[in-house]
Amino acid sequence: MYRSLKFLFFTIIVAFNLLLSAEYQVDHSRENVVKFISHAPMDDFEGVTDKIDGYIYWEGDNLLNKSDMYFEVDLNSIDTGIGLRNRHMRDNYLETDQYPYTHFKGKLTKAEKVSENEYKVTAEGKMYIHGVEKDITVEGNMTALDSSYHITTQFVTALSDYKIKIPQLMFFKINENMQLELDFYVKKIEKN
Amino acid sequence: MKSRLFMVILLGGFFLISVLSFPGFTQNPNISWKRSSPETQPDLQLFHSPHSIDLPTATTLQKWDVEFEISHRFIPPTSVGINGFYGLDGPVNMRIALGLALNNRSIITLGRSNFNDNIDLTLKYKIFEIRNNALPVLIAARAGGAWNSNPAYIQIIGRDKTNSRNFQAFGQVILNTMIRNKLGIGIVPSYLYNTDIRFEDKTKDTFRLGLNAQYYVGQFWSLLIEYTPYISGYRSLTDQKHNPLSFGIELETGGHFFKIFLSNSKFLNSSQFLAGADLPVENNDWRLGFMITRLLKFGKKI
Repeated sequence: MYRSLKFLFFTIIVAFNLLLSAEYQVDHSRENVVKFISHAPMDDFEGVTDKIDGYIYWEGDNLLNKSDMYFEVDLNSIDTGIGLRNRHMRDNYLETDQYPYTHFKGKLTKAEKVSENEYKVTAEGKMYIHGVEKDITVEGNMTALDSSYHITTQFVTALSDYKIKIPQLMFFKINENMQLELDFYVKKIEKN
Repeated sequence: MKSRLFMVILLGGFFLISVLSFPGFTQNPNISWKRSSPETQPDLQLFHSPHSIDLPTATTLQKWDVEFEISHRFIPPTSVGINGFYGLDGPVNMRIALGLALNNRSIITLGRSNFNDNIDLTLKYKIFEIRNNALPVLIAARAGGAWNSNPAYIQIIGRDKTNSRNFQAFGQVILNTMIRNKLGIGIVPSYLYNTDIRFEDKTKDTFRLGLNAQYYVGQFWSLLIEYTPYISGYRSLTDQKHNPLSFGIELETGGHFFKIFLSNSKFLNSSQFLAGADLPVENNDWRLGFMITRLLKFGKKI
């Protein structure tokens, strides 16, 4: 009897914790877009992929409560429009044979409601690119849909911060600063 | 006593759950996320460019990539010296071509050389790949037909332009490997049908074995050499009796390849080059040549 009570209490606590928590994972059925944009006089280009994966998590009604997030992008999937340039990007800059993913791990630190369904949010955490991890803060928007959120953000990252060397060769210069634009959806995961 | 122990266990359990929920851990135990698909595996490519100099490589392009090529072979040899600017004063044999990647494995190319107004149509298809860190292998096949639409030979003036003797065909198997991401090696057995269009009675065929190597010195430049010795079949005893040999450097950028080289051949289109070269290498006399290819993608800003 006593053991059964203990088990019941423990189960209630775990269930309570799970009920309050909300985990949203990238919704692969939606049109997700990650863009890497380089502006340079001779070689202005965009790299695009939809291979973003990860989750965002919080507990209760407050987006900041026990906030946790992890998003990663499969760098081998980036398409700049030309196969040769994809290869240069993979082999010469990102070295994807060693570092196939870039990721951001952090948490929401600010969430300001700007309309009925929309939040302006700030996330802080560590950005990992090319084997280098760096603390960053990014701002974005989260729009609540039925059982999902639409997340958009854009920020600029300096390639030298991540030890990505930029070749200086005639006709071929990429910008030291790469703009990243993310536009994707996460959907709520139902706990069993 | 027992109830106190129960409370300790209860609080301990709660504490454990709360602590493990903290984001500093590898992954919050309340989170069920797992990577949904394996890492993308890019197509295996070994040589950077789809071409060596006159020989093809097994490298293909990305679907709907368009490749524009312009090549020159300066006819006066370097031995003309400064008076002829080492051949650069011309005249030149030139080739222009446009290739389209039908998918990630095949390229169709239409080209034209001003020598005999030779127009060729080729298809290259990547057949097989072996992903191996030490010795990756790519095998491709290339086949094509050529029409000498305005042959200059005095012997065949008066022949109808569309006479079947003005047509040639060729096939190549391309075996490529790459050692330590630095040294590309190619073997290209090649067959040419109707080697010499001047013959009126019957066609002559030629087999050659193309050999090429390319050493990638840095990210954007490399040294390359190719040699295509005669194996069997017809061989000209006069104007194309030598084995083609070319060597030079290649520069590459995001969408261009620039090749500058010396060659003992003045021929650019495959059906002409495979027939043989016109200068003996023993005399150390060469022709300057270059090839520029530019990759384009219609409908996208590049």
